Amino acid sequence: MRHNKNIALSVKDLKTYFYTNNRCNKAVNGVSFDIEKGKTLCVVGESGCGKSVTASTIMQLLPTLSRIEEGEIIFHKDNEKINIEKLERNGKEMREIRGSDIAMIFQDPMTALNPVYTVGFQIAENLKYHTTLSKKEIREKTIRLLDDMGIPLPEQRVDEYPHSYSGGMRQRAMIAMAMACNPKILIADEPTTALDVTIQAQIFELMDNLKKNYNTAIMLITHDMGVVAELADNVAVMYMGNIVESGTADDVLRRPTHPYTKALLDSVPVLGRGRDQDIKPIKGSTPDPYDRPIGCQFAPRCNWRTESCDIMPEISNISETHEIRCHKYKEIFQY
Amino acid sequence: MIFVISFLVYFGLDLTPGDAVSHMISPELAATITPEKLEAMREAYGLNATFLERYWIWLTSCLKGDFGYSMAGGVAIKDIMVKTIPATLELSIVALIISTILGCSLGILSALKKGSATDSGLTVAGMAGVSIPEFFFALVAILIFGMHFQWLPVGGRLLPHYETLLDRIPNIIMPSMVLALALTAGAMRYSRSSMLDVLSREFIKTARSKGLPEWRINILHGFRVALTPVVVLIGFRLPLLIGGSTIIEQVFQWPGIGNMFIRSVRASDYPLVMMISLMYVFVVLTASLLIDLLTALIDPRVRLGKE
Repeated sequence: MRHNKNIALSVKDLKTYFYTNNRCNKAVNGVSFDIEKGKTLCVVGESGCGKSVTASTIMQLLPTLSRIEEGEIIFHKDNEKINIEKLERNGKEMREIRGSDIAMIFQDPMTALNPVYTVGFQIAENLKYHTTLSKKEIREKTIRLLDDMGIPLPEQRVDEYPHSYSGGMRQRAMIAMAMACNPKILIADEPTTALDVTIQAQIFELMDNLKKNYNTAIMLITHDMGVVAELADNVAVMYMGNIVESGTADDVLRRPTHPYTKALLDSVPVLGRGRDQDIKPIKGSTPDPYDRPIGCQFAPRCNWRTESCDIMPEISNISETHEIRCHKYKEIFQY
Repeated sequence: MIFVISFLVYFGLDLTPGDAVSHMISPELAATITPEKLEAMREAYGLNATFLERYWIWLTSCLKGDFGYSMAGGVAIKDIMVKTIPATLELSIVALIISTILGCSLGILSALKKGSATDSGLTVAGMAGVSIPEFFFALVAILIFGMHFQWLPVGGRLLPHYETLLDRIPNIIMPSMVLALALTAGAMRYSRSSMLDVLSREFIKTARSKGLPEWRINILHGFRVALTPVVVLIGFRLPLLIGGSTIIEQVFQWPGIGNMFIRSVRASDYPLVMMISLMYVFVVLTASLLIDLLTALIDPRVRLGKE
């Protein structure tokens, strides 16, 4: 564990379980990570590995039939430490953190905005509940926010409804909404999955600027390894509710050590290598969350598997920043 | 639209056996009357003209504001309408207001407490309210509140000694409540499912992620969006309320249009039947226009572009 004053949020051994039909889905099963101020943490992993659940857990936006079982989510607010997991789900303290200290943007900007209110109204709502600004100031700030996000004619656009915005503009509006109160942490749950590539680049550039200008810590959930390479300061790779490998972007992308990370990077097609390039899909498929392997979750699909893999590996440090959850890392790791 | 329907109604009435004259004369008279006399009567009422001619005469005088006279009793239809419409409107508006407010709030409650005992209880009550016919409720209500406890009058609208508005309230309670009952149940089921649908949408999560209080999320973000289909449902009920209250008006001896309609059909009072059915058509058309305007008001996506 790295200890420094720049940590905005640290998650320790977090477990979030879902209960359906008397069965328990251990969606997040012992996740630990830190988000640093002014840095981007990219969380990658295939669908259903618990990335979004981790994000929702931090915001306490989980569905009713789920519970934080164990672990800590510590939010470092100025000099105060707030244990988010202890707050009441929709209670006053949690609501004060949401939107003002930690803000979130969602996958699909098409459905994330309420269709019956103007974009301005929806951004202003945030300011109304978290600041003491007057109505006039709120309006000016809303317009300024839209302007900052690169929306043309903000004075006019502020009074328009989401349906007259394009997908990219809606996501910009969402970011404006999230950034309204200068949050310490911005959680972006696959913010560009629903957008086309050119818009994606613009949105990421926007987020990168925000990080630089406001020292906002960003937790970016994504599938896209290209995005990770471009934006990430730190990377966490998740598989079946665990972080299997984490470290700086250099650690994870240049010296991937966990067999899953290696496999994940091998399965990404590279532009320019032509159509004959060797894309290796990861063999097998993700296990049923109700019928998990006993030890290392990746073991059944892993080429390095040995008997010791029937026991869940502990987190080991390869270097000061590079952490891994694998028994065989010493053999795999190479500089 | 209204012309097409008026034509169809007129045509339908023309197809029914017998004409006004045959209903006007009593059976005893029919035995003695001469065919010449009958013919003279038909001539006098203008019934010998061709179908299209008669329709044209009726239509033009209607447009001039002359609705003709009821054949039973010879009262001007205008006067009958003036007397009965307020009674029906009074009943249906009260019922509509009660059912809308009650239905929507119970529906929201049910949706927010989904799966709880409250929700199940309301669901069962809602199903019962929708499926049991209203005349049954009316009779039960009369038995309990009118006869057994004698709290409320069993029927009627205005009595000679009634002077203030307050005097009239006891009379309207029972019919409007019974009429509202079935409507409440429908509105409740509808607003519940609409609300549940909206609450599972992504923008509710967005609203929550902004740290808004729950009431604001549920009412401002949730119900406001869930309202559109409910408004459509209620709008479509406007004509139903006037037509559907026929039974209630009968049971409670409410002197409204529904009551009048049944009497006029029984007496083959064609001019009156014509006018009342036309009025229904008019109400249906007005209601759908109203719904469109209301939806546009609630849902900005429906509004026409300003540019």
